Amino acid sequence: MNKINREKFTALSFFLSPMILMVVLFYLVPLVMTVYISFTRMRNWNVEKYLTEFVGFYNYQRLFYMFQHDPTFKAVILTTVVFVGITLIINVFGGLALALATFFISEKPASSFRLLWLLPRMSPIAVYSLVWYYFFHGSEIGTLNSILMKLGVISQPIPWGQTVPWGAWSIIIFVNGLVGVSFGMIVFTSALNQIPKELIIAARVDGASAWEISRKILIPLTKWHFLYVLTWQFLSLLTTYPHIFLLVQWDLVNKDYGTTLALYVFNTAFGRGEQDQGLAAAAAVILSIIGIIGGFITLKVLQFEKMMKRPRGDF
Amino acid sequence: MVKIILKEITKKFGDFTALDNINLEIDDREFMALLGPSGSGKSTLLYTIAGIYKPTSGRIYFDDRDVTEIPPKDRNVGLVFQNWALYPHMKVFDNIAFPLELRKVPKQEIEKKVREVAKMLHIENLLDRYPWQLSGGQQQRVAIARALVKEPDVLLLDEPLSNLDALLRIEVRAELKRLQKELGITAVYVTHDQAEALAMADRIAVIREGKILQVGTPDDVYYKPKYKFVGGFLGNPPMNFVEAEVENGYLRVYESRIPVPAQYKGLIEKLDIKEVLLGFRPHDAEVVKGISEGLVGEVYSFEPLGREQIVTVSVNSGAFVKVFAPEGEHFTFGEKVTVKIREDRIVLFDKKTEKALEFLGE
Repeated sequence: MNKINREKFTALSFFLSPMILMVVLFYLVPLVMTVYISFTRMRNWNVEKYLTEFVGFYNYQRLFYMFQHDPTFKAVILTTVVFVGITLIINVFGGLALALATFFISEKPASSFRLLWLLPRMSPIAVYSLVWYYFFHGSEIGTLNSILMKLGVISQPIPWGQTVPWGAWSIIIFVNGLVGVSFGMIVFTSALNQIPKELIIAARVDGASAWEISRKILIPLTKWHFLYVLTWQFLSLLTTYPHIFLLVQWDLVNKDYGTTLALYVFNTAFGRGEQDQGLAAAAAVILSIIGIIGGFITLKVLQFEKMMKRPRGDF
Repeated sequence: MVKIILKEITKKFGDFTALDNINLEIDDREFMALLGPSGSGKSTLLYTIAGIYKPTSGRIYFDDRDVTEIPPKDRNVGLVFQNWALYPHMKVFDNIAFPLELRKVPKQEIEKKVREVAKMLHIENLLDRYPWQLSGGQQQRVAIARALVKEPDVLLLDEPLSNLDALLRIEVRAELKRLQKELGITAVYVTHDQAEALAMADRIAVIREGKILQVGTPDDVYYKPKYKFVGGFLGNPPMNFVEAEVENGYLRVYESRIPVPAQYKGLIEKLDIKEVLLGFRPHDAEVVKGISEGLVGEVYSFEPLGREQIVTVSVNSGAFVKVFAPEGEHFTFGEKVTVKIREDRIVLFDKKTEKALEFLGE
């Protein structure tokens, strides 16, 4: 018995150790470190001096004070809410709409159409961001400005990204939304393809239009995937910053109304000028808590438990 | 209630010809079975009647109306699938009501019609359950109810019984046949199960590789198969076939000689044919102990089935025939026996085309 147990243990540790190592190294250790640092005065990476200087909830108090009084930080919070909210809607419903649209056309054009929507995700972040940098550029070299000027719609170039708040918001939402749509599209497309063809044929024979089939059969049957995409995209939008970072760095969009909380954390910890890792860590902890709460709410609102059916017995 | 006429229907998927020049008339109120092995095109034909597939060429008529270009919803057909295709997120009531809702039938009338059809199929107590809470047989009834609730002119069934277990299948089969006759609805029934086709259909169309080989009543296709394939596909065990040579009024089968059946005498002379395939059904012959007039051979095996037994006789190395024998008789392996075939039930096929001699001219 003992020998069998030991063999089992050897086998288990052989197969599990790489994954456990990864989880510990890249998730658990950073998590613990972040929480720890958020309770210290850590700044400018001066580990020797500050890493052991405990300040209790001081960093959290600072955040709360800024939330109440600092207009820049207020802008960051507002931008995060608007950015996550609107981009999430675009991502989820845009993905669903694309999947449904391609579901009803024949396979060949459908897959090339889907491939087109994958381009933003496939291209390197810097290249992709650069395309939109030139497109929305505030001077007359900006593609959008030059088109509008040629058409005579405007006479002076408009600094789109510096028009606060909606100009800046529109650009970061547009650029990220275009990347995120493909994720929902892929998940929904595979979900739709798993629905038995007979259900759709039956509905067709009974006289259902494509719209009725979508609304009454396809969408209710992809509820699970909807929930998944919604939660996944919510969490990734909450924490994403590479595109926004570049757009702000290149001065395309306004710094205050182009910075989300995730980017704020990054800038505070690693950005130009004075770095305040203690404050950044506190903000990161808050961001994680918001993510956890938000995730739970989406599960609750969409009645996750109800989707888990009891197994069916025959007769 | 319509008569369905299929005229020269051909359906191609790319290079693959799924249906090859199909001509078929299905009478009003008739129960027509489309019988064939998997991949024969029988389901494709059903979906073509439903309007899911458009034929590459040919026309489809419902009575005098050319429906070839008409979309499925305007053909008024009810469709039942092998996997029943119930909407998993809708309760039984909503599943059955769905076709009526799409037609914008008033709510009260939907309620009335759903209850009516549910009563007819004995599922009125299941209306507020979900499909996953039902047994296979119940789901099947719901599927039929959904197809019938819109009072279709044609009921199309795609192997609706093959997901049921064997006992239930036989029960539902009788019920379905009765229902079809009571409603007086034209029904087309796709199946690969020859027993189902024989038991239920008014007529059977045997399909292979996209072609209709034979259309006829169950008796016709069973006793007068037009092709060796038809004889071999119907019946359990299927028809026996042995090679035979024609020799002055006799058929020589290896060592045995049997007289040419009366019904073929003139035909064989006229066609001047030398080599044939002799076909007969297992219950159209008897096994007699010892060597006498008939097909002589040895007992290879015997399988008691309760009321009767199947005796497999080896008439030559590699050539076997199966014959039913009464339960009481005892056989031993290797025993010399003679198979005496009922002469009037013998079917002779041309060896090359595998077509029955009486149809060779067609």
